Amino acid sequence: MQKIKSFLLKNGPLLATVAIFILVYAIGAQLYPTMKKPQVFFNLFINNGSLLIISIGMTMTVIMGGIDLSVGAMIALTSVASAALLQKNADPVFVMVLMLLMGTALGFVMGCIIHYLKVEAFVVTLMGQFFARGMAYVINESSITIKNEFYNYLALTKINLPFFEKAYVYIPTLAGIVLLIFTFILLSSTRFGRTVYAIGNNEQSALLMGLPVARTKLIVYSFSGFCSALAGIVFSISLLSGYGGYGQSMEMDAIASVVIGGTALTGGTGTVLGTLFGVLINGIIVSILQFNGTLTSWWTRIGVGALTLIFIGIQSLFYVKKKD
Amino acid sequence: MSRFKSIVLLMVIASLALAACSSAAATEAAAPAAEEAAPAEEAAAPAAEEMTAYTYADMTLCYPQLGAESDWRTANTASIKQTAEELGVTLIFSDAQQKQENQISAVRACIQQGVDVIALPPVVEDGWDAVLTEAKDAGIPVIIVDRSVSADSSLYAAHIGSDMFLEGQRAAEEMNKLLPDGGNILELSGTVGSGAATGRAEGFRDALNANITILDSQTGNFTRAEAIPVMEAFLKKYAGQVDGVFIHNDDMAIGAVEAIKAAGIEPGELKIVSVDGTRGGFQAMIDGWIQADVECNPLLGPQVMEMGLKLMNGEAVDPETLTNETVYYPEEAEELLPTRQY
Amino acid sequence: MKNNISPFTKFRQSRIFWPLVALLLIFIFDGIYAPGFFKLGILDGHLYGNLIDVINNGAPLVLVAIGMTMVIATGGVDLSVGAVIAISAAMGAVLINPAFGNELISNDILTQNVSRTPLGLIVLANLAAGTACGLWNGFLVSRAKIQPMVATLILMVAGRGIAQLITNGQIMTIYYTPYFFFGNGYILGLPVAVYIVLAVLGLAWLLVRKTSIGLFVESVGINAESTYYSGISEKNVKLLAYTFCGFCSAIAGLILSSYVHSADANNIGLNYELDGILSVVIGGTLMAGGRFSLLASVIGALVIRTFTITMYTVGIPANALLAAKAVLVLIVILLYSEQAHKIINAVFERKGRSKDAKN
Repeated sequence: MQKIKSFLLKNGPLLATVAIFILVYAIGAQLYPTMKKPQVFFNLFINNGSLLIISIGMTMTVIMGGIDLSVGAMIALTSVASAALLQKNADPVFVMVLMLLMGTALGFVMGCIIHYLKVEAFVVTLMGQFFARGMAYVINESSITIKNEFYNYLALTKINLPFFEKAYVYIPTLAGIVLLIFTFILLSSTRFGRTVYAIGNNEQSALLMGLPVARTKLIVYSFSGFCSALAGIVFSISLLSGYGGYGQSMEMDAIASVVIGGTALTGGTGTVLGTLFGVLINGIIVSILQFNGTLTSWWTRIGVGALTLIFIGIQSLFYVKKKD
Repeated sequence: MSRFKSIVLLMVIASLALAACSSAAATEAAAPAAEEAAPAEEAAAPAAEEMTAYTYADMTLCYPQLGAESDWRTANTASIKQTAEELGVTLIFSDAQQKQENQISAVRACIQQGVDVIALPPVVEDGWDAVLTEAKDAGIPVIIVDRSVSADSSLYAAHIGSDMFLEGQRAAEEMNKLLPDGGNILELSGTVGSGAATGRAEGFRDALNANITILDSQTGNFTRAEAIPVMEAFLKKYAGQVDGVFIHNDDMAIGAVEAIKAAGIEPGELKIVSVDGTRGGFQAMIDGWIQADVECNPLLGPQVMEMGLKLMNGEAVDPETLTNETVYYPEEAEELLPTRQY
Repeated sequence: MKNNISPFTKFRQSRIFWPLVALLLIFIFDGIYAPGFFKLGILDGHLYGNLIDVINNGAPLVLVAIGMTMVIATGGVDLSVGAVIAISAAMGAVLINPAFGNELISNDILTQNVSRTPLGLIVLANLAAGTACGLWNGFLVSRAKIQPMVATLILMVAGRGIAQLITNGQIMTIYYTPYFFFGNGYILGLPVAVYIVLAVLGLAWLLVRKTSIGLFVESVGINAESTYYSGISEKNVKLLAYTFCGFCSAIAGLILSSYVHSADANNIGLNYELDGILSVVIGGTLMAGGRFSLLASVIGALVIRTFTITMYTVGIPANALLAAKAVLVLIVILLYSEQAHKIINAVFERKGRSKDAKN
């Protein structure tokens, strides 16, 4: 009994998130029977592939007590830069590697400014956001079509899923899943992961404990940069184009997903698994509105706002209990 | 508020229903498979025989609207909704809030719902290949509305829309008439990279007389709020040198007129050519600020529905339809204003 | 002789020094690249020129910056200011004319120069709506103990939805001329917006410098817990700060909607939260809270506005504007970082010493 109780308390926010997702999905499926098709569920992954990837990076940053506002703009920059390179007949694999390096490097630079110059993460990454979006428009102001064989192949090849009839995902969709598993293991069962949680709980005491604070912080921001570059690649593949206007205010969607997924913005707690469900909940609300077809769009925003509030309520409930 | 209550009520009913008919769920689950096969049958049937001519009442149309960024767009939305109501078409409408990813996911949702026709006003030209292929595989015809797409034309049934290049050319012809002796003009362009802005800018330059110089061009993002400061800065920088302004839509023109008023310039001193033909634009023509307004018609509802029905019945449609558009002048503005619907 | 600090040193160490330097740098740039920038003329009995534009259409941002300063000083942040601007503007537009939902316009009601509601009531409703939003934020932060960023994120996400709900999803154009007074009117040659800003600034200044509220705000920002033990109601101080920020945003919404003659729930006040935070950061208030200067934030807001107008005047393409803004922020960040300060101070002190040696 005690075990169950402690398990519930420990994973309360996560379980609540999962439960709400299932509940919302069930209501949706009841209202609109076509939502019961398995493909609707997999479409959530296809449609939110990029959001999932940046949310994973954001989760790690937030657990460490930081924030990264540059992710949405990084998607735009990556998509434009890779489209421009591909237009000049660059090798697609080379382009992808280059983009990942660029993202990681930009994240690293921001991490350096945050850690060594002691500037607020909020401000630095905001600057990164302006810079990345500005550069995207400087490279090309209108959208560039990608006409590369390899990209085309990645974009249009469906992977039929076993056990489900007529259900499929696209190749880039898998990137998020792989990254999710990798990050989950990284955070839950490595020394590095524990350091991230420790810094999020209390940076000072982490430092006093002799943990490699500087190194970890730089790695986490670089990782977030890597994630946003990867998300940018996925984005440019699924849309087969690059444009400076892509990923507008996606950082806010990511933060909302992270929070809905049970990660506290103060740092120190949270899981990427929760974030997955945060992203899915975000997606399912949009889907329900789209299936309804008469509700006006402002209900999406009000709905997401209200849900965030509910989740924070649930979270604080659990944290209060924990403290007692 | 009542809408909210009704949703809550719906949810309550739904959860009750969930408890009541758990047995029914099994049969319902089988239904989608049958539905999925339906579009293919529908497509094949009319070709075989004209027995089952569909009417508007049979049609389910999906319209994933781009957003509500300008008067043009809200008029477009209103036209689609009103026409659907009048004709009895079942409309699945959503609003993507100017985000392409939302629009794409809306199209996917429509495909899963098995609608009869999808009418898509794309936010940008690129990025539609995958989702259009999905629609084609599901046997649902797609009508591209307003802007065009870069995807292969075999992926969609038809395009209804305005020729932005032609609108630019028309605007340039008006400017040529207004400034027969040449002069210097400014340009307030639309959202950077959007098809409308690029097309209008290129068309305008294509047909503009050589003796007219474009001094400067800056974007106002199609909105009033951004057009005003840009115009203010322009007027100070080029004080006394400007003879005319080409503005990419009426919303920005209304904003620009405010800035021009504040600069103490009398109506008619600057020759303004705008695009859209909204009520605001007409009012500005009556007041003497705008000299010519090139129409860009948002009332596409009837055209879209008519084509949708034709597609359902397997009739041939024109793959490229231009909307009927004209140029309006101040002389007729007063008379026409009461008849303007947007 | 021991405490002989020269006026220059004193000024250099004051809070408004760095923001002024930034403003000066932009002005010097204007002087070189846009000679007409400083030209002031008189037109229809009011002043006219780029500088007037800066203060006139910079007024909403200045107001937001004033409110944001108070919030940031308590160690919080308000991401919802843009949404509150939209709500306030939507409120005004709807009270002037009803929103007709998704019908096509087929009558002249919407374009008439009349209002359904007296102007005074409209203004009150605007302010009340914004202040209520601020109160809501303050309640979430101070009573429900939600972190400021999340608490205001909720309204940031939902706020524009609420504004759309009010306007029925339409872009509401305002044709009622008395309403334009706030954004386009002039008193004694200066824009009305300037007087409004001065009034709010005066009110805020009285509030924080002539009462102990200012001290309370700073102490809450520096250490909320010890403030609690010293008997100050930390909760009420925070509640007040957020409410005040909502109030400021509401006035900004009033001025903006009056200035552009419309209420566009999607676009009005877009990115004001970022510009507002940036203004405060340029003004030297730490994001972590604590000491603050309202005047420095006001100058910070003017820096951003002047910068934007300069970009329009010089004709830098819009696409490069964002990158340019990033460079500006980067410079500001460097100016404020402790490390950079040390270097600059060292340079100045060496100069001072060599002067002393000469004498």
